[in-house]
Amino acid sequence: MSGRHTEEHIHTVEGTDPHLFVEVHEPAEGTDTGLRPVLLLHGFSSSTKLNWGDTGWISTLKSAGRRVITVDLPGHGQSSSPEDLDSYSPSRIRADLLQIVADAGARPVRAGDPASGLDVIGYSLGSRLAWEFGATQPELVHRLVLGGPNKEDPLASFDLAAAQRYLADGTPIEDESTAGLLKMAQLLPSNDLFALLSLIEAIKGEPFDPAEAVPHMPMLLVAGDKDERAVTMPELASIAARAGGMVEQLLVPGRNHSNAVTSRVFKDAAVAFLGV
Amino acid sequence: MAEISFPLPDLGEGLIEATVLDWLVSPGDQVERNQPLVELETSKSALELPSPQAGKVIRIHGAPGETINVGEPLVVFEVPDNTAGIVGTVPQDDAPKRRVRLSAVLDED
Amino acid sequence: MSESTTAILEAAAATETQSVKLSMQQALNRALDEILSNDPKTVVFGEDCGQLGGVFRITDGLQAKHGGSRVFDTPLAESGILGMSVGLAMAGFHPIPEVQFDGFAYPAINQIVCQIARMNYRSRGTLPMPITLRVPSFGGIRAPEHHGESLEALFAHVPGLKVVSPSDPHDAYHLLKYAASRPDPVIFMEPKSRYWQKGDVGTSDGGTLTGARVVRPGRHLTLVAWGAMVARCLQVAELAAEDGIDVEVLDLRWLKPIDAEALATSVGKTRRAVVVHEAPLTSGLGAEVAQLITQSCFDTLKAPVERVTGFDVPYPSGDLEDEYIPNIDRILLGIQRVLEYRRG
Repeated sequence: MSGRHTEEHIHTVEGTDPHLFVEVHEPAEGTDTGLRPVLLLHGFSSSTKLNWGDTGWISTLKSAGRRVITVDLPGHGQSSSPEDLDSYSPSRIRADLLQIVADAGARPVRAGDPASGLDVIGYSLGSRLAWEFGATQPELVHRLVLGGPNKEDPLASFDLAAAQRYLADGTPIEDESTAGLLKMAQLLPSNDLFALLSLIEAIKGEPFDPAEAVPHMPMLLVAGDKDERAVTMPELASIAARAGGMVEQLLVPGRNHSNAVTSRVFKDAAVAFLGV
Repeated sequence: MAEISFPLPDLGEGLIEATVLDWLVSPGDQVERNQPLVELETSKSALELPSPQAGKVIRIHGAPGETINVGEPLVVFEVPDNTAGIVGTVPQDDAPKRRVRLSAVLDED
Repeated sequence: MSESTTAILEAAAATETQSVKLSMQQALNRALDEILSNDPKTVVFGEDCGQLGGVFRITDGLQAKHGGSRVFDTPLAESGILGMSVGLAMAGFHPIPEVQFDGFAYPAINQIVCQIARMNYRSRGTLPMPITLRVPSFGGIRAPEHHGESLEALFAHVPGLKVVSPSDPHDAYHLLKYAASRPDPVIFMEPKSRYWQKGDVGTSDGGTLTGARVVRPGRHLTLVAWGAMVARCLQVAELAAEDGIDVEVLDLRWLKPIDAEALATSVGKTRRAVVVHEAPLTSGLGAEVAQLITQSCFDTLKAPVERVTGFDVPYPSGDLEDEYIPNIDRILLGIQRVLEYRRG
């Protein structure tokens, strides 16, 4: 299955279709483990192709016999850029994700059935969404792998007004994080900047609070040991552990927020962690 | 045997260079087409570069942390002389097989 | 030129032999190297021709040796490759463009037919088009669509173009050098399934480079072929000999103009002819060959000229190639039909 999330038999959430680009990748021939599907959630200003395709994740998971569901977030990759702000809110995205994985065949975890449930791998913003998805869908999500995770969403402190001024007339942005994120978004000519700003605005309306809803399924947290955007990973781990979940942490030597994602150490650990 | 050099390809979006993160193959390795060769990082993203062909890796260029320009040598493969094509397969010259036999009376008029 | 080719050539030079054993791939590479060395106006270009050295390694090492301004890569746009050839030829250059695969020539038909073929006529001889268009052609390597087609009839039908296809390394080497030396545009169809087979390449004497060539003399029947079908017809001739039939194999080589005299001489002797090509039957060059034979040998022919060809369908996928391309049995059956023919 591939293509926009628009086929008639596919269900929409609240009657509107955000036109997210969804693909389902079948396991490589002869490798099917019969395990539950894996949902991949990419980061801000990235896409399924950049975050999971070009980096070798999809082929690695397929070769490990896993069925993979990918989705481009609104305003990213091949998904469309809805006009309304609501389409970008994390809660709405989570609702769309639930509909998408259900349409792709994911079913609640049943004891003794390795095909049931759903594993989720996120990176950066995708990790935030995965955390919340796991916390709100405890019956569906089996295990989580969160890459480059942060207990606060850096997008929440993004200076939207400064960014809009900069885009309108070039007024320099004072806040370093805001300037850095905008530069990252501008690096890719294919990005729809105004959609990305809508996403930021929506996220500011629903900032990440990991303690508000904590996932209880086993989770693996992974970050480069030079990842400045993930220095709060141990705090995130202790929030999950305090809530009673099994938590593993892995630091990838020599890697930062933008290059930890290709690491074999990361992939091998994720495949092993989810291969149960 | 022939050598085929694989230069750092155009990675798109105006990129002119990439930094080596980690090699996934070593000289002497036999690789398949599309097998990941190396992890690279550009100013925009990190990626794994798949091998454009099957062959034996005989040289790799760029230690982790080093920057390589687009068009500069990245990997040198050794391939048998007769498989140095990229599309299709080399036909084998098998002994000719036949099922049809000719029968004719040749009148020499 | 690749290191291995250089080594072979040096070894040959050291022992002062008059011929070297090369694959067609190496022979074409060597010919291009020499053309570039001897003619400063020559430029070689196409998709992957520069840095990579061509998908079939035909231009391997040439950019390193002759520089990026004489051997270079083009965008994936055949109309641009041939359009640029027109401009270069007008400016006094001798372009040797490559269209990477036969089926990729279609997007450049406008440039080839409407410009290259008639510029010399249109300009009353003031703008000749000394272009040699190399096209890896025909099937046989299990490649995907557009990678196995036979366009000789299309090109041969266009006034102003010459069309040639070598069948072995020796002819490939000498015919390419000859074509590049001509003032007219030449479509040079390389039989890609024969790139890797080695053969003796005479380095001192190329022999006659115009017209057809008898590659196997015989008394009873003439097999007319070109490109990759020549090697197959030679196999068939050996098998026919086991059955007492002495087959002559005529490699047509030049498909425009066709060597009508060679056809008349060969079939005048054998009185029977079968023409073999990979291209589809209808309006294929086999019809032209059959007409030329009939014209000259009508009174002595023992049977109508037979054609053994591809089918009137789009070129199939690789796993059906062996059914599509004339195989040994189909050629033998064609011979049998001619042998069995009785007047009245």
